[in-house]
Amino acid sequence: MRHVTQLATAALTALAMLLPLGATAQDGPLRIEITEGVIEPLPVAVPNFVPETPAATEMASQIARVVTEDLVGTGLFREVPASAYISPVTSFSAPVQYADWKAINAQALVTGAVSKDANGRINVKFRLYDVFAGQEMGDGLQFSGTEAGWRRMAHKVADAVYSRITGEGGYFDSRVVYVAETGPKDDRRKRLAIMDYDGANTQYLTDSASIVLAPRFSPTGDRVLYTSYETGSPRIFVLDVASVGRRELPTAGGNMAFSPRFGPNGQQVVYSMEQGGNTDLYSMDVNSGQSTRLTQAPSIETAPSFSPDGSQIVFESDRSGSPQLYIMPASGGEARRISFGQGRYGTPVWSPRGDLIAFTKQNKGRFHIGVMRTDGSEERLLTASFLDEGPTWSPNGRVIMFTRETQGAQGQSSLYSVDISGRNLKPVRTDGGASDPAWSPLQR
Amino acid sequence: MHAGHVISGSGHALLIGWLLFGSFSIPPEPAVEVTNVALVSNEEYAAMLAAQEPPGAATEVEAPEAPEADQAGTPEVSDMQDAQPEQAEPEVTETTEQDAAPEAPVAVPEPQEVTDTAPEIAPPSEDIAALPPEPRPEPDAAPQDVPRVAPQPVARPEPDVKVDEQVQQPAEQSEDAEVEQEEQEATAPEEATTEIVTEAEEEKSLAPSVSKRPQARPEVRQAAVEPEPEPEPEPKPEPEAQPDPKPEAPKQDEPDAVAAALEKALGGGESESETPAPSGPPLTSGEKDALRVAVSSCWNTGSLSSDALRVTVVVSVSMQEDGRPNGNSIRMVSSSGGSDAAARQAFEAARRAIIRCGASGYDLPREKYGQWRDIEMTFNPENMRIK
Amino acid sequence: MSILPRAALLIAALALSACSTNDRFKNGSGTGAGAGAGAGAGAVVPGSANDPRSPAYFQQSVGDRVLFLVDQSSLTDEGRRTLDGQAQWLMTNTDYMATIEGHADEQGTREYNLALGARRANTVREYLVSKGISSARLKTISYGKERPIEICSEEACYAKNRRAVTVIAAGGLTS
Repeated sequence: MRHVTQLATAALTALAMLLPLGATAQDGPLRIEITEGVIEPLPVAVPNFVPETPAATEMASQIARVVTEDLVGTGLFREVPASAYISPVTSFSAPVQYADWKAINAQALVTGAVSKDANGRINVKFRLYDVFAGQEMGDGLQFSGTEAGWRRMAHKVADAVYSRITGEGGYFDSRVVYVAETGPKDDRRKRLAIMDYDGANTQYLTDSASIVLAPRFSPTGDRVLYTSYETGSPRIFVLDVASVGRRELPTAGGNMAFSPRFGPNGQQVVYSMEQGGNTDLYSMDVNSGQSTRLTQAPSIETAPSFSPDGSQIVFESDRSGSPQLYIMPASGGEARRISFGQGRYGTPVWSPRGDLIAFTKQNKGRFHIGVMRTDGSEERLLTASFLDEGPTWSPNGRVIMFTRETQGAQGQSSLYSVDISGRNLKPVRTDGGASDPAWSPLQR
Repeated sequence: MHAGHVISGSGHALLIGWLLFGSFSIPPEPAVEVTNVALVSNEEYAAMLAAQEPPGAATEVEAPEAPEADQAGTPEVSDMQDAQPEQAEPEVTETTEQDAAPEAPVAVPEPQEVTDTAPEIAPPSEDIAALPPEPRPEPDAAPQDVPRVAPQPVARPEPDVKVDEQVQQPAEQSEDAEVEQEEQEATAPEEATTEIVTEAEEEKSLAPSVSKRPQARPEVRQAAVEPEPEPEPEPKPEPEAQPDPKPEAPKQDEPDAVAAALEKALGGGESESETPAPSGPPLTSGEKDALRVAVSSCWNTGSLSSDALRVTVVVSVSMQEDGRPNGNSIRMVSSSGGSDAAARQAFEAARRAIIRCGASGYDLPREKYGQWRDIEMTFNPENMRIK
Repeated sequence: MSILPRAALLIAALALSACSTNDRFKNGSGTGAGAGAGAGAGAVVPGSANDPRSPAYFQQSVGDRVLFLVDQSSLTDEGRRTLDGQAQWLMTNTDYMATIEGHADEQGTREYNLALGARRANTVREYLVSKGISSARLKTISYGKERPIEICSEEACYAKNRRAVTVIAAGGLTS
């Protein structure tokens, strides 16, 4: 009994010895934990770049404009309008007046300069500042290129700014290949087109004599796979973007071959082929033209997409009775179903980061673009409309572009993009109707 | 039919024209080269420093990286199997240097401390209660696609109210610590919603079943400034024993009466005498909460990558007596949950939050300066991932 | 019992059938312009729709298409009756080849609808083969949702777009 009391006393004493530390002046710091914050666009100022040669004056402001549009277009940044500026930026090397930018709550500041040399080459340089920290974020960079490539240089500046602030790669210096559409719904003309991700510099890759569908970039962005009816029935073609030369892939044996997609090494193509009414998945070595059958089921297997490491394929199948998503090894074999929600799932596309799968979902007469983890968990629907389909990922896995078609006899297709948070849903500018977008990797 | 022939004919003519003249061939993507910018030489930099003491931009003093090598274009490769990019573009090989370039020299320059540590001691003024104007709440402020997500919904402010991070009172600090009524230059928090509402979810909320949306509350004052009031200040006693047995201190989130009583008892008890500033009793949970809430309202995770949103960073900051953070003192103590790069972005966002919302001083009791001179803030974004 | 209801029924039935033949006619001529044009030019068929040996007769009187239920590729009873007629016609007109086009409505993804159209076309093909038509004379192709004939976004249109159309072409002996 006594023992116990002694022990207790000792313990209390020890406790008493410890406690004051927490109570009195800490020589340790005050500690707090912040678990709630806000999510809002970061105010960024991009003053007109400084023209360092007279010939660069117009380009200097255009480049700043494109950089601003790139950043603001992500929904993650907000433009601090030039009308709010206190101190103009007239020299690229002059120290930044942080106080003036703080005063207007510009949290990031991009300054730049443009010059044109004797050979007509354009040099663009920029610096990025964390205004409130009063320091530069990373080193300045300089880009040089032809005058015709000024938009690319602007996109590269924006990519660098984006990735330094957000911590993930950018996606502005990229292109989109898609199907350009004209004509009424029952006589729609389709041809392949390619453009910058923001809709600039559109070029057409095929004429509209025959139906073309669902183009897909190679991992290096130099080739495009697509489905065309030019031989009479759907066949897969590969097109060289630079030369616009094309050839048919030797998908012999079947009636109809479609829905192709490159593997991450650019050598392998996985696609659907139909025989006797039954559609299965095949994979082809592009060099040898040798195909291997991956699935053997009486159901429809289509819309395959590789995991970024090339080891697995996610695809759509109606083997359960309605279209659902499945994953199997890239060489074929046992497939496991990953979609279990209500409705029908299709066109799964593995994110370039590997963590998510984007898909089209059809439920109760509406279409959605959604994402889920690769085990099927955490499904989130990002959009809802009469008809949304065919998601494609931005190179950094942050944004999804897709086709949206409006309802009714006058229905038109156009491209939309949405952040994977579900925010910043907006149309993508194209010349006329558009469908089936595929986003290129970042250009080198 | 005639129209058909015309269309067909012109189509063929176009096709032939295309074959002949190759009008579809795409101009090769313009090439872009990348080099680092090092525009300021050491000498220039030194001169600049001499000229004006806030060294501003010029923290970077690297020599220019290797100049852009004008590479000959790779010849056009017509073989489509070739995985190399065919375009004859001088590839941007230097790009990697931007990564290779060590960011290290960005170390915070010392001189700035001088300016920062010489504060004119302003009269205590932290008693001014922040009372915002009464923004008339929108009749039904259901979460919509507002480009801002905050812990609590904020109704759209009156059109003529300036949007600000904090509910802010007019700058003049009136002597009387009275609660001020609505004033001319009042600001209100920006309209916000509590969670991201995707188009798909909006759809649902349009459904006839009237879901109970949180009505925009009239006391918007709390809105931007107060995330869930779960007071958990974590008293964390230091484990090292110090032979100075004192009456037990209560857990800090206990009623203030006790704390107040203890304040007296413990008043001048701090043994570290190196600090001239008053130390005072520990911060009450309310005081800590106020600080937490204030920093929260500027902690913007909206522009962070999902990687960075997985990183918890612990950031230390030393404070000036006027309640403002010393910007140069902000350091990352530790991080967990992500790569170094992700941690850096997470840290930068945390730093912006501390500096931005502390620009006019945090509302901290001056008599307890010793308690909050050094602060370690843990920024845990667990709740801030895709909301 | 009275005459009136019967008359009403009769009128209603007539109206219905007129309706459907009208639609069929319209649809038939609609595709005829595109798909049938080549055949008409290549094979000089004197007869119009009244000539039982003409593709026009096949389209309009035999019925060149069968419709499917949502997501289905199995034949309806009505579809089987139409195909019986097609099989009979093909048996007597052995000079002709047939391409069976499978289609889907716009509710569904592009890829899946292509596969679904192929399934439908193949169902028709197999049925015709089971009725004695040589499989060498029958080809299939799917257009998925790329070639709707009705453009409204309602079930009335969808029902007509979920179809398999047997397009007759001359040249059975050559290939």
